Amino acid sequence: GDGDGDGVTSRKYTRDFLLTFSEQCTDLPVNFDIGPDIAAETLMSVPIAISHHVDRESY
Amino acid sequence: SKSLSTILHQPHLLEHSWTFWFNNPSAKSKQAAWGSSIRPVHTFGTVEEFWGLYNNIHHPSKLLAGADFHCFKHKIEPKWEDPICANGGKWTISFPRGKSDTSWLYTLLAMIGEQFDNGDEICGAVVNVRAKQEKIAIWTKNASNESAQLSIGRQWKEFLDYNDSIGFIVHDDAIKFDRFAKNRYTI
Repeated sequence: GDGDGDGVTSRKYTRDFLLTFSEQCTDLPVNFDIGPDIAAETLMSVPIAISHHVDRESY
Repeated sequence: SKSLSTILHQPHLLEHSWTFWFNNPSAKSKQAAWGSSIRPVHTFGTVEEFWGLYNNIHHPSKLLAGADFHCFKHKIEPKWEDPICANGGKWTISFPRGKSDTSWLYTLLAMIGEQFDNGDEICGAVVNVRAKQEKIAIWTKNASNESAQLSIGRQWKEFLDYNDSIGFIVHDDAIKFDRFAKNRYTI
């Protein structure tokens, strides 16, 4: 909870409570911006717009 | 007073902000120094942001062998040299390749939900994906604080419903003895 209650910490959330958010939070944070030095496809499970240049050295 | 929809859309703040870090396996071979390709991916501070990230990134079973994926408290770097990590150590659990996804998620949820009694001692967690295994480790701050380390190890096993023994290795020992470092604590 948030609050001015007992003064004890704070923001504790059980696993079951956290899991209830899983299906409703499917969008990347709006300010998400993967850096140019991370190969996005190795990390991301969804295609994302990538602004950095393509490395063509293998062609 | 607040309307119901305002309350429903109020993000759930976490006690700490956390940063995901990724060590790109394809870049690793091109880097001279090990660890030089570790990069911060994104920092989050709410339950909603956590899921937004988690739902769009590969889980350990889908990461390439050689990848390291970290979740550390904001401003703590997942490196031995980080001043907050320097005197610490880590608890580690190994899984066969492709078998750590649930344990990794439960580890993250326990950390960000502040379920550890000694959560202040925790720096973060990492999953190392390798060809034949996936290793999850929890990094802590003060290896010499035995009771805190034992409490974290004990609770971690509970959260994962893991029954085999696990070992705690001090970072200093890992630096000195590499793979021959002995467990400081076992639980």
